Amino acid sequence: MLYLYALSEPPTTAPDVPGLDDTKLDVERAGEIDAVVSVLDRTRVEPSEKAILDHARVVDRLAESNDAVLPARFGRGFADAAALRAAVAERAADLERALDLVRGCAEVSLRALAPGGGAGTPAGSGRDYMRARLGEQRRTQRLAGELHEPLAAIARTATKSVGTGSELVFSAAYLVPREAIDDFNAQVARLGGDHPDVTLACTGPWPPYSFATVEPGSG
Amino acid sequence: MNEHLPAAQQDVTLLELVDRVLNKGVVLTGDITLAVADVDLVYVGLRVLLASVATLEEAEPGAR
Repeated sequence: MLYLYALSEPPTTAPDVPGLDDTKLDVERAGEIDAVVSVLDRTRVEPSEKAILDHARVVDRLAESNDAVLPARFGRGFADAAALRAAVAERAADLERALDLVRGCAEVSLRALAPGGGAGTPAGSGRDYMRARLGEQRRTQRLAGELHEPLAAIARTATKSVGTGSELVFSAAYLVPREAIDDFNAQVARLGGDHPDVTLACTGPWPPYSFATVEPGSG
Repeated sequence: MNEHLPAAQQDVTLLELVDRVLNKGVVLTGDITLAVADVDLVYVGLRVLLASVATLEEAEPGAR
């Protein structure tokens, strides 16, 4: 079983770290795309913390040495190299486009939390409650826009979802050119200062997991 | 990431990582799924941890 960690732009050097089950990493060329894989002896992988971190380490190392990397989702494999090449060939154009998009970029994740999350609902009549809820929703939409727009302007592209939960205002992932990461972090800090009532949980830079997508099954 | 981050924020970083590895990333048609992840659990964990980050920052203004 060939376990897939990531796709990348050739030439690719296999990272010098072990894969899952301490396996050795290999690079399989599939047309104009490289696949970083290792041979596993089994057909099932438990999503244990160790296995997840092993997968992530391979992707991290690869992203350090290769400008255009598409991380693969955990737990995907192929019967053999021929099956892998066929799967890549089927989506080659989409994958090359995705590699172009992420080239030179890293992903930064942001979650914004409003105060009082999980603190319960205010006492009062049903009408007061509904009014409070409506006001809260409008405020959430506006706040999400105020936080998102200046960051999206720095990013090459972004995904964003406005929170439906009580405390999460919104969550977003930004694809940021590496040279703009400092600007981006400064902007996050500025937004945090402008909105002392909001907690910004910013993580990254990550390899571009959230932007390694091709539409499944339409090709 | 940053070892000077508060513990709760390191936990958030770990959960963000788990979320990415399990739920994002490219999937190719014709692959074989070797693992089925419990996606909901990850999100529940994230919500709990993010709430704890908020609490932490209220307790330590300017800690971030």
